[in-house]
Amino acid sequence: MELIVFIFLAVWLVLSVVGAIIVKNPVHSILFFLSSVLATAGIFLSLGAELIAGLQLIIYAVAIVVFYVLVITTIPWEKIKKFEGIYLGEFLVGLPFIIISVIFIALLINKYDISSIPVKVEITDNVTRVGKTLFTYYLFPFEVASVILLIAMIGAILLGRKEE
Amino acid sequence: MIIDVLIALGKIAVVLLVGLGLGAYLTWVERKVAGHIQARMGPSVVGPFGLFQPIADGVKLVTKESIIPRGADVPVYYLALILALVPSFLIFSVVPFGPSFTVFGREIKPIISDVNIGLLIVFAMGSIAVYGTIFAGWASNSKYAFIGSLRKAAVIVSYEVVLGFAVLGVILIAGSLSTVEIVNSQIEKGIWYIVYQPVAFILYLFCMLAESGRVPFDIQEAEAELVTGYNVEYGGMRFGLFPLAEWYLNVVGLSAIAVVLFFGGWSGPHIFGPLSPYIWFLVKTFALVFFTLWLHWTLPRFQAKDITDIAWKILLPIALLNVVVTAFVVYLFS
Repeated sequence: MELIVFIFLAVWLVLSVVGAIIVKNPVHSILFFLSSVLATAGIFLSLGAELIAGLQLIIYAVAIVVFYVLVITTIPWEKIKKFEGIYLGEFLVGLPFIIISVIFIALLINKYDISSIPVKVEITDNVTRVGKTLFTYYLFPFEVASVILLIAMIGAILLGRKEE
Repeated sequence: MIIDVLIALGKIAVVLLVGLGLGAYLTWVERKVAGHIQARMGPSVVGPFGLFQPIADGVKLVTKESIIPRGADVPVYYLALILALVPSFLIFSVVPFGPSFTVFGREIKPIISDVNIGLLIVFAMGSIAVYGTIFAGWASNSKYAFIGSLRKAAVIVSYEVVLGFAVLGVILIAGSLSTVEIVNSQIEKGIWYIVYQPVAFILYLFCMLAESGRVPFDIQEAEAELVTGYNVEYGGMRFGLFPLAEWYLNVVGLSAIAVVLFFGGWSGPHIFGPLSPYIWFLVKTFALVFFTLWLHWTLPRFQAKDITDIAWKILLPIALLNVVVTAFVVYLFS
């Protein structure tokens, strides 16, 4: 049963990631991306990481992707660059990077057995555990991260402000 | 194993069928309420008290010609329907309709899935519904529809934040995100959380109206300026699905969650025999639904810029203050 669920979610995830890369219409691409985020949330849920699944849905699938969607759907369609056939030159430049990253990933898979199917964790108090660790052991990094986010937010507000 | 799957499927089927039927009959309720508020009769011709009106409406919607506008993005045009309807149904997956009971030695919980993150699911589904609106507006290739969908996106993004912080107060007191646990903790303490969290409840009401696109927050469909906004290019039953999801299923779902959070869920005196928990739950839920309809047909509409102003400048500071005060009180007295 768990294997069926995992295979379903994994195929869904891989298909939507591939789709996000190969479709030409940016709105279709963002829809495939949204679908991949939902599939990831499903995988977290099936592995017992309920809190992360919920946060994936709220923060990733909604709070972040909705801004991509807002920007992409409001682009004036007459002005975007049209597709001009296969980008051969760009592909050749990118080829070494692709080969190197494939080699690295292959090495990782060989060394640390990350290719096996993940196992479900039997924890029921996800929320309590994450909260305790976050506010005791990782308190300083957590606070630093929130200050960085605050600075970024103030910067964005400053940039978006209308001149008076 | 197989029996568990069958029970789960049975629950899903019941919720789906009841949800769709309810959606249809809430149109009748809404038109009756609206009629009486405006000193009219409402539907009264088809059947006794106009009770067959939803069926006639359904037949009309299904048999109507529905056209796809020129220049529309056809796959996204259809996908928007699914994206609008499915999240509204998924809210019901974490609504506990009553206490668990046993049939033939097997414990049955009247909730589709009692997950630990029940409330997170509610927030997530409430906000994922925004994609239905945005893509419906975009795929229709129409300026009116698109303006409506952008307005809705702005409303949802702002009110989702307020909703999260408003509900945090209740979560702090109950100590759980699971809907069943929250109801149980209210029954144990013998008090409804609206007594502890009246501010949170008022904030929740604002957010409920905003998320379900009800007056005074229905700027995305503002009939006078946007000719019903994001769904203007849809016809027939495809058009009917949007109000069904947004106006009816969302309102009922969020009212049920409000009952769980603030009104003690299924708790109430046992005056209806064994069915009383369910009856209490439905009575409380539909009292809130009626309140929403009442507001819808009484109040005027806010301006688009006022709505986001209210959320960020007034409601969010109040919600944050409420969370801080609640946290202090819970820390001191527990």
